[in-house]
Amino acid sequence: MGSIKPFSGPFGKPELIHLLRRTMFGVKKSDLNFFKSKNLDEVLQVLVPKTPALPDPPLRAYYNNVDPTKDTLDSLVKFGTTWVDTPAQASQPANPSGSRRNSLKQWLTGLQLHQDRSVYEKMIMFYQTLLVTEDAVVENSHAMYNTQSLYRKYAMGNYKQLIKDITLDAGMLRYLNGERNTKSAPDENYGRELQELFCIGKGPGSGYTEDDVKAAAKVMTGWYVIYNEKINNVTTNVIPRKAFNKNNHDTNPKVFSAFYKDAVIQPDLKITNPAPFATIDERRAFDEVEQLITMIFNTDELSRYICRRLWNYFVYYDITPEIESEVIEPLAELFRANVDHQDQMQIVVKALLGSEYFFKPEHRGCMIKSPADFHIGMARTFDFPIPRQSADPSKDFTNLEAQYYMWNIFRTYNVNAGQDVNDPPNVAGWAAYYQTPSFHEIWIDTATYPFRKGAYEAIGRSNFTLKAANTYDGKSGFLNKMNFVDFVKQFDNPSDPNELIREAVELLFGPPLSQATKDQLKTNYLLLGQATDYYWTDAWDVYIANPNTSDPESKKVPQMLQDLFVYLMSAAEFHIC
Amino acid sequence: MKRRSFIQSVPVAVGGMTVTAHGASPLLAALTNALGDTDRVLVIIQLNGGNDGLNMVIPLDQYASLSQATIRQNILLPEDKVLKFGGTNNATGLHPSMNRLYDLYNEGKMAVIQSVGYPKFSYSHFRATDIWMTGSDATEYINSGWAGRYLAYEYPNYPVGFPNTVMPDPLSIRVGGNIVLGLQNQGVPMAISISNTNDPLNLTGSLFQDPASANYMGKELAYVREVQRQTDKFGDSVKNSADKGTNLSTMYPKATTDLGYTLGQQLSIVAKLISGGIKTRIFWLSTGGYDTHAGQVASADHTTGTHANLLKGLSDAVGAFMNDIKLLGLEDRVIGMTFSEFGRRIISNASGGTDHGAAQPMFVFGKKVVGGVVGANPIIDPKSTVGSNLPMQYDFRSVYASILSDWFCVPDPDLQQILLRNYQKLPILDPGNCIPTSVHDQNNRLGENLVYAYPNPFVQSTKIKFETKGGHTQIQIINNEGSVIKTLLDQDMQSGKYTLDCDLEDAAAGIYYVRLQNGVLQQVKSMMKVR
Repeated sequence: MGSIKPFSGPFGKPELIHLLRRTMFGVKKSDLNFFKSKNLDEVLQVLVPKTPALPDPPLRAYYNNVDPTKDTLDSLVKFGTTWVDTPAQASQPANPSGSRRNSLKQWLTGLQLHQDRSVYEKMIMFYQTLLVTEDAVVENSHAMYNTQSLYRKYAMGNYKQLIKDITLDAGMLRYLNGERNTKSAPDENYGRELQELFCIGKGPGSGYTEDDVKAAAKVMTGWYVIYNEKINNVTTNVIPRKAFNKNNHDTNPKVFSAFYKDAVIQPDLKITNPAPFATIDERRAFDEVEQLITMIFNTDELSRYICRRLWNYFVYYDITPEIESEVIEPLAELFRANVDHQDQMQIVVKALLGSEYFFKPEHRGCMIKSPADFHIGMARTFDFPIPRQSADPSKDFTNLEAQYYMWNIFRTYNVNAGQDVNDPPNVAGWAAYYQTPSFHEIWIDTATYPFRKGAYEAIGRSNFTLKAANTYDGKSGFLNKMNFVDFVKQFDNPSDPNELIREAVELLFGPPLSQATKDQLKTNYLLLGQATDYYWTDAWDVYIANPNTSDPESKKVPQMLQDLFVYLMSAAEFHIC
Repeated sequence: MKRRSFIQSVPVAVGGMTVTAHGASPLLAALTNALGDTDRVLVIIQLNGGNDGLNMVIPLDQYASLSQATIRQNILLPEDKVLKFGGTNNATGLHPSMNRLYDLYNEGKMAVIQSVGYPKFSYSHFRATDIWMTGSDATEYINSGWAGRYLAYEYPNYPVGFPNTVMPDPLSIRVGGNIVLGLQNQGVPMAISISNTNDPLNLTGSLFQDPASANYMGKELAYVREVQRQTDKFGDSVKNSADKGTNLSTMYPKATTDLGYTLGQQLSIVAKLISGGIKTRIFWLSTGGYDTHAGQVASADHTTGTHANLLKGLSDAVGAFMNDIKLLGLEDRVIGMTFSEFGRRIISNASGGTDHGAAQPMFVFGKKVVGGVVGANPIIDPKSTVGSNLPMQYDFRSVYASILSDWFCVPDPDLQQILLRNYQKLPILDPGNCIPTSVHDQNNRLGENLVYAYPNPFVQSTKIKFETKGGHTQIQIINNEGSVIKTLLDQDMQSGKYTLDCDLEDAAAGIYYVRLQNGVLQQVKSMMKVR
């Protein structure tokens, strides 16, 4: 078995667009321009970077009264500043916990909407569906923030280190009952999911046993979470953090099955220095967790499982014997060869995205968009205007509020269509990424499709407004509306209706359209039934020269474009990338 | 030049005789048939580009002028080739490529209305199209279509509570394109479009949707289309009618290269759906290419060329459709009409074509149509210049009024509300087709009545009564141009029924709309302010 075969064909515009569709949310014209003279290696250098620095944290943009003097929602955090390092307290007049949790979800959506030219945000969503915690279960914005910070810390980094960190992450300890896993009453929840969902899976090569689940649970006994402590005799919430109670830890040898080569895990008495922990018991218990994870990572199946998940997430869900032998196996080898490399995921993901199989014609235009891909991609492709917070958000309430308001609208679209960021439906993540035989098709059904339709119609046609009187500072409201003229202005040759349709279809649709259908679209929407191209050309040129033109044909340009694009969004092709 | 006058229709005959002749039939039908089977259907065929009416309906008595080099010599049809209409003293005829429509005329199943237009015309394709779609004046901007307003009048609660058992089908269907302004009512489409994704049954064949390929891409495309079909609330009903329906005519243009192929295919879908029992009232189709600025005839033989081909395609397709409708036993229920956004200029240009003009002839066809030519031939001034246009004889809204009144049986006061003004009616359909029934009242009650004005009409102010399902609710008053002139409510509401005062003292008398938006629900009702 050799290494995964790299793509060697010509890397042209269709290949670039396929790559961008799968690695980012939607294809932007400006991204195409940026990448157009680069070869595949150069493009992948940009798209698959080393792990970037953490983004600026979420800010308080919520309130319970539009008059700031009467607002009591989060008295500890100034409007426009971050709440992430200030735990909410019971003494606050109004409980801001729910608002903070929503704030986090809005912020996660915003990071997608304003993503860099990088696969980074899609990797975050990959971990959201692979290493799941649920906001609805954890019910703590700080724990949720810290868990997703781990995804970010290792997004393009070392998977083993990510698993080590997340195993003892406060949010995960709470979510999968690690905090209640004790010697006298072991809780198998995390021990099971660590193997079944996070590392080994249930594929044909999986062989861990029920006893392995029990043994893994015992290894991790004794860890729990501190949520509050007495400060000046007052019970005060703190940012949740892990802690260890040696009385609850099972120090007996934990014996594993033949799948793990009959490994035995027990405290390593050779460890004598407690650092960085306070006690030697905690240090040794931590070492046991590391032994467990190293044991799991020593199986070949772990690498195959993660690579199958990557294939499913980035390419397609059908894993044929050919894909297994030509893609999964060599990619898994690469994963194992770099198992301790600090840029392991970057190396593996880059190899997958640069492979011959990724670019095969049958793997293009065949993935049903997730709600995030659909809605975030729509906003990005169309350059839907979203206000941005200014340099000092604590002094410019309007832009901050408008930004979170719009982020929340897109978050809500995703929720309605079945993808609530930070809240997958269960520990297995979104069914679209694991449920045979339908996989990605699960995203669209008769319940969720109408929400997608409602969203594109709203994005295409509606005003998004907040009246000044309904804003926090009461000074200025805002209004957002899609401007299709500005969008089309970026095109190579918008005054040629054939070129306009060609480029629109290229940007929006996974599957290509026949020339006959493109001609129909042109005639229906840009020529309004007329036969000659210059009706559009004249109308466009006059309108661009003077948007206030009184020429009756040119005046219709914005409406014609709106009708065209709303129609294009109604096509099945728009749901596929 | 001797001026001859010949109004060729037979208005005198409409009175006693025709009422007796036709009156019994619908009455009998109403007594013996289910309501659905008596539903009337209108098929609208839009000729995109501006049709050269002078080369379609030919004023043979004007050849002295037309044949001059400064007028139309370079495109004029040879007089002896024109298909002469009976009853016109050989003064009016049809383009020789339109033999099927000529047959229809000779069977008494086609009315030709001369010189239809409106005061102060527009030469702009797009603006003129909007005028024809909305029924507005040349200087008036209206945000709803004439057919859309009629459907909203008949089914005021649409789309809330639709489809239902009485009206399981779309009110109107646009075949092969986007939903035109003519079928809109203040932002609410009163039609569904069967094309591309809205045609998940692919009724329009490959006309507007690429087939799904045999690979992963095609698999997912087919999957999404199927969900779209299931989600489309009319998907099943249209499919049922398509499955039950059939075509019997062998006359439809068969090869993709045959003239009129696409229009014929679309019309065959309409015939099939009607024969399958669909209760849809209006079908809207379009066919393009009429913008014949250059080379509209072959210079060697003026009976051939671009325009001849367009007219033959139209005639062959419509002829086949009417043949189908006859064979399917639907002749008493179906009429059709053609229109273009304008006619063309009197004098041809040096490129052997014609430029944008004004008035144009219209066809209204069907067994229930009063056949004949309505109106006189246009008088062609031999001194016509490049700016000369056919003067209008009939307002296009008079045609709409006649169809609404004498085919869809809209009573006069309501007619005025739909067309916004009072227009004379033309003798193209027998008023005896209409007998009083309770169908309109029943249609009016269909669906959920979420918002309405009471009293209506009103003088200064009225009350808006509405029902919200809870959550964000918005009530707006909109004028004819589509501008919001008042927002009465814009906030979160508990579910329930409410009443708001609506004072329009400062507004001009006329038609207004109250629009309710409650989550995904939207309903628009008209209301009339009177002096």
